[in-house]
Amino acid sequence: MNTPPTLNAHLAGLLLAITLTVGLSGAEFSCTLASAPGAQPVNEAAVSLIPLDRPAPPVAAGAEVEIAQKDQEFSTFLTIIQSGTKVVLPNQDTVQHHVYSLSKPRRFELPLYNPGQSESVVFDLPGLVTIGCNIHDWMISHVVIVPTPWFAKTDAQGQVALSVPAGRYRVEVWHPRMGKTETREITLLESTPAHESFSVTLKPDRRIRRSLGGKAGDYR
Amino acid sequence: MTVRLRFPRFRRFSTQLLVLLTGLFAVVQISVYLLVSRANENNALDHIRQNLEVGAGIFRQNLSERIAFLAGSAKVLSSDYQIRKLIMQEPLDRPTLQSVLRSYADRVKLGAESLPPFITLFSTEGQILALSVENDELATENIGPFQYLIRRAAEAEMEQASDYSYLKGRLHVLVVVPLYAPYPNVAGWFGLAYPIDTTITQPIKKNTLLEFTFTSAPNQPDHRVLSSTLPDALAREVLEYNAAHSGNISGSRVMTLAGEPYVTRFESLDLLGEAPARIALQRSLTAELASARELARKALSISLAALVAAILMAFGLARGVSRPVQQLAQHTKLVASGDYSQRIDLGRKDELGQLATAFNQMTAGLAERDRVRNLLGMVVSPEIATQLLKSDLKLGGEEREVTILFCDLRDFTSLSEKMPPTEVLALLNRYLDRMSTIIEQHGGVIDKYIGDAIMALFGAPVAIPDAAARAITAARAMGDALEDLNRQLTAEGRPRLTFGIGINTARVVAGNMGSKTRLNYTVIGDGVNLASRLETQTKEPAHQTLIIVSEATAVAAGVAKSLRFLGSMQVKGKSDSIRTYAVDVLPRPWQERT
Repeated sequence: MNTPPTLNAHLAGLLLAITLTVGLSGAEFSCTLASAPGAQPVNEAAVSLIPLDRPAPPVAAGAEVEIAQKDQEFSTFLTIIQSGTKVVLPNQDTVQHHVYSLSKPRRFELPLYNPGQSESVVFDLPGLVTIGCNIHDWMISHVVIVPTPWFAKTDAQGQVALSVPAGRYRVEVWHPRMGKTETREITLLESTPAHESFSVTLKPDRRIRRSLGGKAGDYR
Repeated sequence: MTVRLRFPRFRRFSTQLLVLLTGLFAVVQISVYLLVSRANENNALDHIRQNLEVGAGIFRQNLSERIAFLAGSAKVLSSDYQIRKLIMQEPLDRPTLQSVLRSYADRVKLGAESLPPFITLFSTEGQILALSVENDELATENIGPFQYLIRRAAEAEMEQASDYSYLKGRLHVLVVVPLYAPYPNVAGWFGLAYPIDTTITQPIKKNTLLEFTFTSAPNQPDHRVLSSTLPDALAREVLEYNAAHSGNISGSRVMTLAGEPYVTRFESLDLLGEAPARIALQRSLTAELASARELARKALSISLAALVAAILMAFGLARGVSRPVQQLAQHTKLVASGDYSQRIDLGRKDELGQLATAFNQMTAGLAERDRVRNLLGMVVSPEIATQLLKSDLKLGGEEREVTILFCDLRDFTSLSEKMPPTEVLALLNRYLDRMSTIIEQHGGVIDKYIGDAIMALFGAPVAIPDAAARAITAARAMGDALEDLNRQLTAEGRPRLTFGIGINTARVVAGNMGSKTRLNYTVIGDGVNLASRLETQTKEPAHQTLIIVSEATAVAAGVAKSLRFLGSMQVKGKSDSIRTYAVDVLPRPWQERT
């Protein structure tokens, strides 16, 4: 009950990854993200490993991630999913929302729906999707759809650690304040932990601010 | 050589006073008028300059507000969901997009009267997707500034970019804002343009009374008026002025348009990729000064009225001063001619009135003095009177040589007993008058009358060089005069008169003698007594003469040799004998008597 469904989804993904790595011979991958001037750790960036020497395992059946609308915000700002994952968009708010995406990988529109209603969208194509709310400009959520089950978000130290089968991979790094996705090809060897450092340039944070008339929030 | 300014001189005091007062008043009035006019003009200039500054500020403010308004409008428009959907559609539905933009243009119109802004939708690459006006050509022609702004905004990650530029040759403010689908995905750009012309400046003119004229850069080939609140002819004059002053002009200056001075301030408006346009903010000095001029006109008429009043008052005042002065002058002439009878009354209590009173007192004083002088002249001889008036009246005297003449009527006492007193006095006065006249004619001075005797002085109080000779001549003339009088008396049947004269010359004391309150000018000394004694000697028949002079007199007169020597005689009260001479007068009375 207390655990948010999104975490459940992550846990499910991780469990899946772990079962897969257990089945194959594993390799340890870690990566650190820092912004270019000042080398500040970049938190909440999407890091994914896309296998190049073999097809990635398909998404688990019934894989589901939730991005809820609550307090006129999306519950997560950045969500990473494997393509084919279903995203549930429940309205747990007190007001109606009009959730939409105009991004190429998945365009959809959930016209005004009431609190308590829940809609879901399956993201089949990899890419970046920005989900917005037509009636609340400040509500923005980014969904990174990757064709791989091996992905993670950087922590407060800008670090991420993944256990994947040995092999060739493309590392993809993305953050909402980065212009383009950063990619790098690596080869991971068994029992040889690999570490990659990324130095990225972040654009200034110009997120649309919630206006003063909005419901009480952290915005002042 | 010094040049001396010659002011016209006025003989009349009243004219001088009038000219002075009127002149002073006029000078003050003119100075005040000039000062006030000048202050007014400066004030108007300052006021206009301030207004120009304020006007320029308002204009700039207005432009930035317009930019903010356009940007705000564009943001609202770009947040419209349907435009997001339309722009993502493939293939692009251009006619629909264009109709949407036209509808948007109407939405963001400033007011029912004002023009809608010009709205263009650009792709992320800066290509025109749609525009709110039909004319494609116009849009493509003017795509440059928008594309530049889009690049600028995209590179700097700006929410908006704005600048000023020409669109179709007209001045516009341009604003571009991104079309988010949603943030941070830029799906396209909105470009809004609003003309900078009289629609912006007219309301400012209404509030500040300033004229706005926009012209393109003066040093460019296509120098032209972009828009103006002024009539076309005047705007062209501004254009010509700009052409003549193509350099950098700052500050405010006075420019003449259609013969009227305009205080002008130039502002320059930087344009995107073009030479800056020039804005002339102006205010007519004549219009600004209109109220001040009206006031000045009124002040001038008041000043003129005051001047006329001042002239009249000054005239009155001048007459008030000059008339009594003239009266006093008239009166002075009367007094100068010896008429002390008139009194002046100016009927006023001021200084002139006091002067009149003082004048009257002076006239009275003069009359009194004249009277005293006349009386004095009668009582004492005029010479003594003059001497008395000249010198301080004081006791004491001086020693000087004087010739004293004593003349006494013989047997007058017995004669008077036979006649009534009045007749006696009349006869005596007649005799004394004749004798006195002769004495005075010869320079003698009557010292006093002692009954029927005359004491006369020669050489006192005024020293004369030939006093002794004069005295002798006078004595002879007196003898002749007595003869003449006797002939008359005989003819009248009255008794004849006879006298004796004694003359002596001696150093005596002459001066004022008497008490402090009553003085007599006289001479005293032995010499006086001797003269009297000599007179008494004429009674001696043996001498056969009416006139006896002392040797001193004879010598002083230089006639001792021509006179008959009588001999040394012992005179009463004198220890020394005195040599005496007789002055003979023909015919000898004593011969007739005998």
